[in-house]
Amino acid sequence: MTRYRRLFAGPLGAVVIALVLAALAMIVAGVSPLDGFAALFGGALGGPHQIAETLVQTTSLLLPALGICLAFRAGLFNIGAEGQLLVGGLFAGTAGAHLNFPAVITIPILLALGFVGGGLWGAIAGWMKARFGANEIISTLMLNFVAASLASYLVSGPLRSSLASGAETAPLLPQGWLPVIIPNTRLTIAIVIALALAAALRFVFARTVFGYDLRAIGEAPEAARRQGVDVRRMTWLALALSGAIAGLGGATIVTGVLHRFNTELSPGYGFTAIAVALVGDLNPLWICVAAFGFGILEAGGLAMQATAQVPKDAIHVIEGLIVIVLAARRYVATRAEGAAI
Amino acid sequence: MNADAAFLFSLTTLTLVKATPIVYAALGGVISERSGVINIGLEGMMAMGAFTAVVATNFSGSPIAGLIAGIAAGAFFGFVLGLAATKFKVDQIVAGTGINLVAAGAAAYGLVLIFNQPGASPQVNSLGNGYWALVVFAGICALGLSWLLYRTPWGLRVRACGENPHAVASAGLHPLRLRLVAVIASGALAGLGGAFLSVGEVNLYSDGMTAGRGFIALAAVIFGRWTPWGATGAALFFGFFEALQFVLQGRIAWLPSDAMQALPYVAALVAIGGLVGKVRAPASDGVPY
Amino acid sequence: MIAVDGVDLELRPGDIHALVGENGAGKSTLSNIAAGELRADAGSVSANGTVGLVHQHFQLVGRLRVWQNVLLGREPRNGWMIDVAAARKRVRELAEANELEIDPDAYVDGLPIAIAQRVELLRELERDPTVLLLDEPTAALAPAEIDAFFATIVRLAKRGTAILIVTHKLQEVISYSGRVSVMRRGKIVESFETARTSLDAIARAMVGGELPKVAARAVTAPSPCLVARNLRAGSGSAAISDLSFEVRTGEIVGIAGVEGNGQTTLADAIAGMIAYDGTIDIDGSTGIIPQDRHKEALVMNWSIVENAVFGFQHEAPVRKGVLVDEAVARERARQIVDRFDVRAASLEVAVKTLSGGNQQKLVAGRTLLLDPQFILAYQPTRGIDVGATALVQSRLMEARNRGAAIALISFELDEILALADRILVLYRGAIAGRFDRARADRAQIGRLMAGSR
Repeated sequence: MTRYRRLFAGPLGAVVIALVLAALAMIVAGVSPLDGFAALFGGALGGPHQIAETLVQTTSLLLPALGICLAFRAGLFNIGAEGQLLVGGLFAGTAGAHLNFPAVITIPILLALGFVGGGLWGAIAGWMKARFGANEIISTLMLNFVAASLASYLVSGPLRSSLASGAETAPLLPQGWLPVIIPNTRLTIAIVIALALAAALRFVFARTVFGYDLRAIGEAPEAARRQGVDVRRMTWLALALSGAIAGLGGATIVTGVLHRFNTELSPGYGFTAIAVALVGDLNPLWICVAAFGFGILEAGGLAMQATAQVPKDAIHVIEGLIVIVLAARRYVATRAEGAAI
Repeated sequence: MNADAAFLFSLTTLTLVKATPIVYAALGGVISERSGVINIGLEGMMAMGAFTAVVATNFSGSPIAGLIAGIAAGAFFGFVLGLAATKFKVDQIVAGTGINLVAAGAAAYGLVLIFNQPGASPQVNSLGNGYWALVVFAGICALGLSWLLYRTPWGLRVRACGENPHAVASAGLHPLRLRLVAVIASGALAGLGGAFLSVGEVNLYSDGMTAGRGFIALAAVIFGRWTPWGATGAALFFGFFEALQFVLQGRIAWLPSDAMQALPYVAALVAIGGLVGKVRAPASDGVPY
Repeated sequence: MIAVDGVDLELRPGDIHALVGENGAGKSTLSNIAAGELRADAGSVSANGTVGLVHQHFQLVGRLRVWQNVLLGREPRNGWMIDVAAARKRVRELAEANELEIDPDAYVDGLPIAIAQRVELLRELERDPTVLLLDEPTAALAPAEIDAFFATIVRLAKRGTAILIVTHKLQEVISYSGRVSVMRRGKIVESFETARTSLDAIARAMVGGELPKVAARAVTAPSPCLVARNLRAGSGSAAISDLSFEVRTGEIVGIAGVEGNGQTTLADAIAGMIAYDGTIDIDGSTGIIPQDRHKEALVMNWSIVENAVFGFQHEAPVRKGVLVDEAVARERARQIVDRFDVRAASLEVAVKTLSGGNQQKLVAGRTLLLDPQFILAYQPTRGIDVGATALVQSRLMEARNRGAAIALISFELDEILALADRILVLYRGAIAGRFDRARADRAQIGRLMAGSR
């Protein structure tokens, strides 16, 4: 039970400390923290539309965060969710512009393609790690840039739609659009998919042989190898699956929000999701909570940008502070524990 | 000068220029990792260096003051990471990730706050041709770091610290203090690399202008086997591909510009993929003491 | 838990004082406090001069040279730089003054353990300590090396250095110390003048009663179970070359040797962890107790239940379809805890909260529970208390009595002599001698371990 108390005290405490620091930063910057936070939270939670938009942001963060969580639990620092998101979206968007089946067929195909696309992108890093031992932090990071270049090339060249004004693919046919949950908002069943996946992931970690092996290579790779775990196979599989879940996230953005693919698919969801996964303590259910918290920041940040001319990137400061403070708090928690022993 | 010679000349000079910020950041990565701290925050430290340099130049009118401010900003963020990695025993990757987020956000917000315009700063005085001094100085820094690490008592202690901090403690020294100083120096170098980007190569700061160079520098550290000269060589290698992209632009019709933009990153991927088995990180790299 | 509780200890110049006690009794904590590497919550340590500490796990930097290790933090300078020539000279002179042969320019990584220990000793001697603490200094040394080491120590004592040796090897205590103090549960329970006590008396004081007995040996009918032929593997000093041996059912084959003579390579080859030339045929199921429980056997953050089936998760009945059967895992854990006396608050606690002895009992229990026909036990009692040692050794003996074939690799000759039916001596990757239990001669085995005939 203490474990849960600590989990709860940790993230929540970190959020409070980070918000206090952010308030101080606003004062230094000559902005009233009351006004700042009012704009932020009003923009995120001020009405049904705002809440729906917050949940859209939550979904876009949750899926890559779950992917990152899977890799981190296997001890693999997948920093490449951003690229995997992009490739997943690219796969879904490219096919979605052409697929002309009923929605019940089209949507699963598009989501599956996103899953496969992100999975392939993650598998590159996985293969490099398993085959050459290439450091996955560097490879996944580099693959982000390669994905961005690739996507930019494709949408401004071969895949560019003659109908579109900017660099983007042709719009998806309506059969490929995810069903909306709340009318007149952008909130789709994507959030249900993401939450179901979180529950599934929790089950996989806790109960399955795959999850057992995955956690084993993350916690004690040498012991895992000696106890019959195929560490190489698990390594590439973990990075591939991690990328696949992020890629699914990209597909839900294409099918649920943009209805086409373009390079503005993600304003850094793949990076923010790292913070979400860490703040959620790499536990799928807590990650859902963390994603909602960060969803508030993202949606509120967009609102702040629109109303107060504060660039939404500024909320990255709050997000980063939460990450640093949380990590520091975890140290304090373990030290207190150590003293008790 | 005929066309080929001109091409080679521009490729060479551009390689040096493009490599310079990566050299600074990679040297920062070397000093930090040799002490046992992985500095994922190099990217953010570069961004802070670049941004602060522009701000300071804007108000003082002197790009030299900008450089100094950029170094100081990088060093400050290095101090934050160092403190987290030593005193608070925070996971270094987590702390570095947090620093990157804070730096990117702070620079973006700072643009609005100070210049009242999002996305990019107004133009400021730049070093002009003076930036060649910084290119040369990067080489001097590599030389200096090499001397420091391999010839001086401090360097010996830092290297020992990255291998076995307990041995350093047994010798009556303070491994955490050594690491803190090394990470501050790392941030200062990354900040200088960032400042070179903003007031050296160009004359403004724009969001995302570091474009992953901090991460490329991390790859250069590994590629260069954690030695100052190795990392410098690797940075030149990446700089070459970045230069190639500019020099080739328009020359090879079938090669799209996006593919060329991906060149340095693909090169980095190939580099880390093709090298492994031959490199060994400092034994306690990334391990809290 | 308090590691060290209200301890008084006094050393005089020229003393050789032995501090003995079980694992976990607080010896290392005490020596770390005395050397100033740990801070005591209460009380004081005063020394007339400096205190040096030679660690059990050498605190050396493998990728640096000998002189760099010895002079770390006290480098001779020439302006801003290290004066390398002066440094080399200083180390060479120091080594000569103490009659310790060493190459100042060698990298520590490549040095044999006995030489690496010299580096650690020289680093402390460089500070000219008035008190020298030695933490398990002979754990990894061959008998001949131990004699040479103590010759150095006795010389130092004669020159007036006060010496405290933390050890669990009572034979050395009797041979070399002037006084001996016994620690138990963080307290010094007895203090003897070595000349007026006996090995038995010290051992009883350590355990706080009679020594636990190991299960008796039964008569068995051996037939080959593991057959290794012309085994070659590894490289450098860890290599094994042309090993041929058998392990038969109902017997324990003890593989004796000083650490670093190819034992790890041999164990890894048998476990199938590395490639090898030659053949290893094993008739029946295999169970392995790895050398390092922290790194190779357990996931420290996991519960006893989760660890209880580690290694079995890919086979029925632990594996049920794609799931790990929790009921089976829990039942396994309960059986291990009962039969191997693993003391824990519950089956759900993380194994990192268990004592070393209980962790090792869990590892041994997991391996032995299913009665494998062949068992490889590599240092199965390393660093655990006497009670846990007796239990693990008894369970191995019982497995043998039931007909299991056991290969026991141990650096402790006493353990080999106590358990083995046959003994192989491993020296530089080759078998230097073979003995039957009846003909095992401790002195001769000791000589073979050190490479002499």
